[in-house]
This record gives sequence, structure tokens and C-alpha cells, in this order.
Amino acid sequence: MTYAVVRAPRLDLEEFAAAAGLHPELVSRLVALGIIDAARDSAGRLWFSRSQLGDVARVQRLRAGFALNYAATGLVIDLLDRIAVLEAAMRRRARLGGH
Amino acid sequence: MADQDFYRILGVPSTASQEEIQRAYRRLARENHPDVNRDPAAEDRFKDISEAYSVLSDPQTRRRYDAFGPDFRQVPEDADPETWRRARAGAGAGARSRAGAGARAGAGQGGRTSFGFGGGDDIDLDDLLGGLFGGRGGWGPVPGADQSAEIELALEDAYHGGRRTVTVGSGSTQRTLEVTIPPGVTDGQRIRLAGQGGRGSDGAQAGDLYLVARIAPHRIFRLDGRDIHVELRLAPWEAALGTSVAVPTPDGEAKVTVPAGTSSGRRLRLRGRGMPRPRGTPGDLYAEARIMVPSKLSDPERELFEQLAATSDFDPRRRR
Repeated sequence: MTYAVVRAPRLDLEEFAAAAGLHPELVSRLVALGIIDAARDSAGRLWFSRSQLGDVARVQRLRAGFALNYAATGLVIDLLDRIAVLEAAMRRRARLGGH
Repeated sequence: MADQDFYRILGVPSTASQEEIQRAYRRLARENHPDVNRDPAAEDRFKDISEAYSVLSDPQTRRRYDAFGPDFRQVPEDADPETWRRARAGAGAGARSRAGAGARAGAGQGGRTSFGFGGGDDIDLDDLLGGLFGGRGGWGPVPGADQSAEIELALEDAYHGGRRTVTVGSGSTQRTLEVTIPPGVTDGQRIRLAGQGGRGSDGAQAGDLYLVARIAPHRIFRLDGRDIHVELRLAPWEAALGTSVAVPTPDGEAKVTVPAGTSSGRRLRLRGRGMPRPRGTPGDLYAEARIMVPSKLSDPERELFEQLAATSDFDPRRRR
């Protein structure tokens, strides 16, 4: 396992698209659909964090695996995230001995 | 090695209609998609299901699969099924078993799965599926999904920590990992193994694997968070007069002073003798008194108890 020694704190649209293996146009579309979040600076440029590459990967896997359109992918992701939160809460409760 | 009976993988009869095949595929894909099912074995099942569907959903490849079996891709387009079967019955039996063994050996260590046939060219499953996630719609390499698996620990192992060998996944994704368990792992706690989750396509980064600790029920200890409860059995005279006894803890025996006048249910706390907490206060160990009487009394014992009964005015049922 190799890790990058230095990481840019944030990526611009081109850098992010390149790292995700996508066309920048498609990344903008995913942002417009609210499927991935991006910060917009005063000049209107989009900025991403490296941790969001995992989110994009999940969009790609779900879309390819279920032949979903982007809007449906967004819904599935929201539901999966909500389930993850509930499961984490259940785990916490189990750890505290059911109190 | 992956099951190569595509009908069995999809759970449909070989007479199934295209619609039945699609329905079975959709259902299984929903159950086993790596972003929905975090079981490491699901990734492999999902690949098998996708491979089976890619063959059976196309009537033309399905016909060839029905005629020639899983190795249909090695069969020339114009081959006659009858001639092929006869040729295979003669020379093929040995070759097939060799191919099976070779494929199994090649599948270890999370390597790439290959279908072997005789000494001929191997076809790589990842190539067949077009990278599965990466081949369509202009997507590049796609990193793998995070996975999650349970690991059952004996209470003592969770207490002391240590190294543990864990096998996760199945088929081509099965791998054995050496995991360091930190001391004081509690039930439900997650241990993250970076890069050990689902494989990415086209060389993209793998996801992470989360091991969820499950602590097995113990013969004498009961866990409540980081506190450990243990039963402390006492003879009536020990409980009445007070004593000092040894109680078991996961870290060996500990001396506990039982004060005079201890009744069943009284909990004696041994501070800090519960589960350790990395960089924090450990839990406590509670020894709960339980008074035991001999099931058969010897004559002198009976005499003494009778004497006690006659002398004492103690009424355990009187409420204050």
C-alpha cells in the first residue's frame, strides 16, 4: 500500500475530474444534480476535496450496476447514507449494552 | 473458483425465459451490489451474477453457452455441438480437471480470476466484463467499495489484544489478513483496514475493509460496555462473617475482600479491572455475591444449622 506523501488540500474541477477519471463536464453535471458537493469560490470556480473521489466512485458503481439515471443514483445514495447512520446508531447502542 | 453454471448462479432453470433471467439478475444484483451489501463475499457473487447475465441475456451467446458450456468462447463460431461434445468426451476430461486446479491456484491472494481450459489461452474475467464498472459510458477506472465483515473474538482476546488471522471474501476475492487487535476492543467496535475492501476496476484504488468486533459470550464473564460482571459464590458463613477470596478476571485472579454481612446480589467493585481502554480509564469488574448452601448436610453441619436456627432472630423477609 502506498500513500501520497503530500496532498493538495483541495482540487479544482479539472484536477478532480482527472483524478476521478471523468470528463469535467460530467463532474459539473453531478454537482448541478446535487449528487456530489462542491465549494464555489467568489470567481465561480468549483473546488473539491480528495475524500469526495470515493463518493464519485460510488455513483459510478451504482449507475453501472443498476442502470440508474443520475437522479435515481442520488436518491439511492441518500437512502444508503441514511441506513448507514441508523446502523451506526444501532451499533453504538449495542456497544453501550442496550442502555 | 467461480461456479460456471450460469443458470445455477442466477437460480433459474435452463428453460427460463429471457424475462425470468432478467428478473433473477436484477434481484440478485440488488442483493449483492458492493455498495448495498458490504459483505466481502458479495463482491465476488456480484461479479459471477454479472458474468452469468452478460452471457444469458444475449440469445446468441446463450445458445452457444447451452451448446458448448462455460468454455464456449474457446469454440470456433462454426463448430458443430455434436462433434465438439464427442471430441471433448475423448480428450477433454483430463484437461478439464487440470484447468480447474490451475484456475483455483491462480485465484488466491486476491489475484485476477481466469478461466482455464487445457493448455490454451486463458480468458481473463476482468477483460470479459470490460472491467465491469469501467467499461461503459466513458467512465474511467473506478475505485472499489468499502466492505465490512464481522470478526468474533473471545473475551480474553478482546481484553489483551494481539494478532489475529482473518479470512474474508470468497472465490477469487478470498484473502487472508493478519490483523492487529488493539487491547480493549468492545462489542460492535470497528477496525479499519485501509485498502482491503472491494477491488477497484482498471487498477483503481481498493476500498477499505471494516472489521466489526463481536465478542463471544463467555462461560463466566458477562460484558456490559467495558464493565465485566462475574459471579462470586460464597458459603453462608463466608458471607456472614466476611472473608477474602480470589475472583477470576481476564487478567488472572484478583483478591477481593467480602465484608461481613454480605447478602446475595451485593456487587463488589474492583475498580479498573474491567476492559482496558486505549488512552483512557478502563472499565470496572463487578463481583456479584451469590450464597450457596451444601445440597446435602453432614450430621455436624445439620446440628450447627439447627442450633443457628434456634438461636437467631434474623428474618430475611422482614422489610425495613
